[in-house]
Amino acid sequence: MSSRYTRNFCIIAHVDHGKTTLSDRLLEYTNQVSQRVLTEQHLDSMDLEKERGITIKSHPVTMNYPAKDGHIYKLNLMDTPGHVDFSYEVSRSLAACEGAVLLIDAAQGVEAQTVANAHLAFGQKLKVIPVINKIDLPSANLDLCLKQLEDILTISAEEAILASGKSGIGIVDILEAVVTRVPPPRWTDYPQTRALVFDSLYDSYRGVISYVRVFSGAVKAGEYMLLMSNNAKSEIKEVGVFMPKMEKRASLGAGDVGYVVSNIKDPSEIKIGDTLTLSARPAAEMLPGYKEVRPMVFCGLYPVDTGDYEKLKAALGRLRLNDAAFVYSSESSVALGFGFRCGFLGLLHMEIIQERIRREHDVDIISTYPSVVYHVIKHGDVMLEVDNPVNLPDPGEIVEIREPTIKAAIHIPNDSMGDILALVMEKRGTVDHTDTLDATRVMLTCVLPLNEILVDFNDRLKSITHGYGSMDYELGEYRAADLVKMEILVNADPVDAFASIVHRDKAEGKGRELCEKLADIIPPQMFKVAIQAAIGGKIIARDNVKEMRKDVTAKCYGGDISRKRKLLDKQKEGKKKMKQFGRVSIPSDAFIKVLKTN
Amino acid sequence: MSGLATAQAKAASVSPLGLYVHVPFCASTCDFCAFYQTQPTADGVHRFLAGIADEAALVPWTQPVSTVFWGGGTPGLLSPGDLEKLAAIVRARCGSAPEEWTVELAPASVTEARLAALKAAGVTRVSLGVQSFQPALLDALGRAHSLAQIHRAYDRIRAVGFASVNLDLMFALPGQTETEWAEDIRTAVALAPDHLSTYCLTFEEDTKLWVKLSQGRVKLDPEHEARLYESTWALLEAAGYAQYEVSNFARPGHACRHNLNTWRMHEWIGLGPSAASQQAGLRGANISDLDRWLDHIACGERVTEDRVTLTPALLAEDALIFGLRVNGGVDLAPWRGRAPEAPWPQIEDTLSTLAAGELLVRTGDVVRLSNRGRLIADTIGTEIMAAFEPITETA
Ligand SMILES: Nc1nc2c(ncn2[C@@H]2O[C@H](COP(=O)(O)OP(=O)(O)O)[C@@H](O)[C@H]2O)c(=O)[nH]1
Ligand code: SF4
Repeated sequence: MSSRYTRNFCIIAHVDHGKTTLSDRLLEYTNQVSQRVLTEQHLDSMDLEKERGITIKSHPVTMNYPAKDGHIYKLNLMDTPGHVDFSYEVSRSLAACEGAVLLIDAAQGVEAQTVANAHLAFGQKLKVIPVINKIDLPSANLDLCLKQLEDILTISAEEAILASGKSGIGIVDILEAVVTRVPPPRWTDYPQTRALVFDSLYDSYRGVISYVRVFSGAVKAGEYMLLMSNNAKSEIKEVGVFMPKMEKRASLGAGDVGYVVSNIKDPSEIKIGDTLTLSARPAAEMLPGYKEVRPMVFCGLYPVDTGDYEKLKAALGRLRLNDAAFVYSSESSVALGFGFRCGFLGLLHMEIIQERIRREHDVDIISTYPSVVYHVIKHGDVMLEVDNPVNLPDPGEIVEIREPTIKAAIHIPNDSMGDILALVMEKRGTVDHTDTLDATRVMLTCVLPLNEILVDFNDRLKSITHGYGSMDYELGEYRAADLVKMEILVNADPVDAFASIVHRDKAEGKGRELCEKLADIIPPQMFKVAIQAAIGGKIIARDNVKEMRKDVTAKCYGGDISRKRKLLDKQKEGKKKMKQFGRVSIPSDAFIKVLKTN
Repeated sequence: MSGLATAQAKAASVSPLGLYVHVPFCASTCDFCAFYQTQPTADGVHRFLAGIADEAALVPWTQPVSTVFWGGGTPGLLSPGDLEKLAAIVRARCGSAPEEWTVELAPASVTEARLAALKAAGVTRVSLGVQSFQPALLDALGRAHSLAQIHRAYDRIRAVGFASVNLDLMFALPGQTETEWAEDIRTAVALAPDHLSTYCLTFEEDTKLWVKLSQGRVKLDPEHEARLYESTWALLEAAGYAQYEVSNFARPGHACRHNLNTWRMHEWIGLGPSAASQQAGLRGANISDLDRWLDHIACGERVTEDRVTLTPALLAEDALIFGLRVNGGVDLAPWRGRAPEAPWPQIEDTLSTLAAGELLVRTGDVVRLSNRGRLIADTIGTEIMAAFEPITETA
């Protein structure tokens, strides 16, 4: 079947600019989903994603659209994750398309992610269709949006389509634009079969299901497929398309988007961005853009109840099945016992995984301070990658520590410029240049150490700008910095879980803050307990935990003894839920609280 | 006499037996009270007395009773004649006269006739439930007595002449200031009782006060309570009342032996609804309901609730938990002998940690809590339980 009447496209937008609503409208219009079945937000299915308004998993869908030219087109709509942590995933979803609908909220205008996504789309050589969305809003400012389109994104304002996902305005215009402006599938005449794997799903019965975009050739059941990154060979069991539910098809041809079931059971064998070809007639070159995804942020995850170790292990295993970007390996901590060192694409990715472990897998966990991956140069020009402060070599062995940086685009209202500059400075960042977005907003292009934005940067950006600021970033280069390992001592014992790598100039302030928070969060203790921050044995900050003042039952006679024992038993059980550090019991959520109370 | 018999006789002479009688009647219910009590009726009292006689007949008495305690409820609500009937049942189990015989009385029910009956029966100690000398606070507690009634009751008790008189007081009452509490202590001391029990108000589940607490109408303030505890200890010490337990103070020779024996994990027998017993390796309580208790007794059953088998290790654990509340502390030596299977190294570890933190003082084999330790005796109790864990969990 010819791919002349196939169009592959995606919708890209800043969060909340109406991507989900508009996608639903397109589906509705093309009748894929009857209005009754359509839940409020069809494509965003995971609860957490709904809450956070972001999409993690891509859910492609195929629509049949009878265009004005009299032909019925097969439109494959790819969904893309909406957050920078998943930029590689976004780029792979984009690579599966020839065009992108770029949504701009008519009332908000261009924002950080609008720019970042537009640049990703340009990078993939996609045809970008600008859509000014939510024009039904009274606060819509069309003139400004069109001007920003030209000034910031260098897209001609004449190309813009005015739409409202909510009121159903512009839906046909968008579908027509997809048909007429987006080119038909590319690279179809490559001599061998090549398909891009842009996502995968683990199914306990069928194993790993690959989501693919076929570029050339055809894929059908019974043949042997070959994954080009690792030469994994496997028999294809079934192929099909998303309508949006999976529907079996005889084969997938050039230009098609669909799924492939093989007998691969191990999700780590299916790598996003990989090229799937046929083992009998393999392609010579992979499709461009494949990258091994590497976690950027690490932290330790431990079960609060040591008895939950196996449960946590199973939860991590299951999460990993559908999230190849998430990695983990077992580790143990003096303070926390047995747990796992986990790697994430970014901070949001980390938070989402932690939430899912708690909510969906019902395991209460403690997380240690997050860390980036440092490059430690030792004598003799040996480079060591360190993602856990505990593994930092002795200062004597270190020539230099290099930390990862990011290149951030920060969009802010003019009047918060001073405060944001101060924040960037505080976070050891530099501003490369400043661009005026419109009369009220500017965009700062900054370089910041990744570890400085791990914990509270985004929250503070939001609070300084009253919610109007936004940020997007890409990873930059590694840079040498004066970094030291700071330890936290509880009752003079170092608590490995609290160790962190910090810039020397910030150690004292951060140490004091940590000590104060810990002293505050740890419940009153029977004994005097000091909390100290230290660099290489030198104390740089200290605080004391409150001493317990009164915990005694007034009346305790013969008849009260049984009752009293039961109460004490309850208290004892409560204490078991805490982590013991020598004589000190620290509630297991103290770590999280310490991280969160910024 | 064989050696064994001598040893048994000696053991009996050092292991006193207590007798507790729960008189479950009150005229009205106080807001803070979680004790089992009910409205007194002529028929109820009659059936209660018959029940006590029947229950006493069910007890496997092995030795004479050395101390007696009548609590409630309000034992003083019984008529002089009924008091005498109850006393006769008790006396039958005491061999000669008991060393100590306490009766709790509420100020409103103290009459000359009742006191005379108690005195004649052999009661040696009276405990008067004053609670507060502040009329407003008495009111707030739902106590049905006036200041004048307190003074009249006290004078009558002293006039009859009992060997020991105790006053019960409460502090940390909602709205009570530190000065008001100090004033209460001064008033109490001025009456020159032999013994004082001062109780920090406790919020017990199923009391009116608990409801208020859970509705947020009253608030807990541990710092304030701690200060009140400390000032109480200082004021009473200065007035010649030595603290011998968290809430109990006495002039020399007036500590309550019945209670001290309980805290030392000696045996006692409880009669009446809700009364607890600890005897022959079993701890438990009667059901907290007059009619159902009577049913149980009629079927020859007692100590039907909360039954716990007492192993030597568990008794050693409880002797420490409850004995550490006593200022005199606990002598470990006899317990090591009685419960050699307890995890002593682990226990010693915990005790050393507590001593290092200045919560516990050790002199030879005797351990006792410091003032700071006594203020957190519950937390220390849980530490002790944790130290005993491996044994009690497998027991
Ligand atoms: N007024 C108006 N609101 C819209 C429109 N489209 C979406 N919204 C609202 O904007 C918010 C974000 O929409 P959503 O589709 O979830 O955005 P996404 O985060 O880009 O997927 C929701 O509260 C929608 O109800 C529109 O066309 N007009
Ligand atoms: S008099 Fe004593 S037993 Fe009766 S209700 Fe009041 S406090 Fe409770």
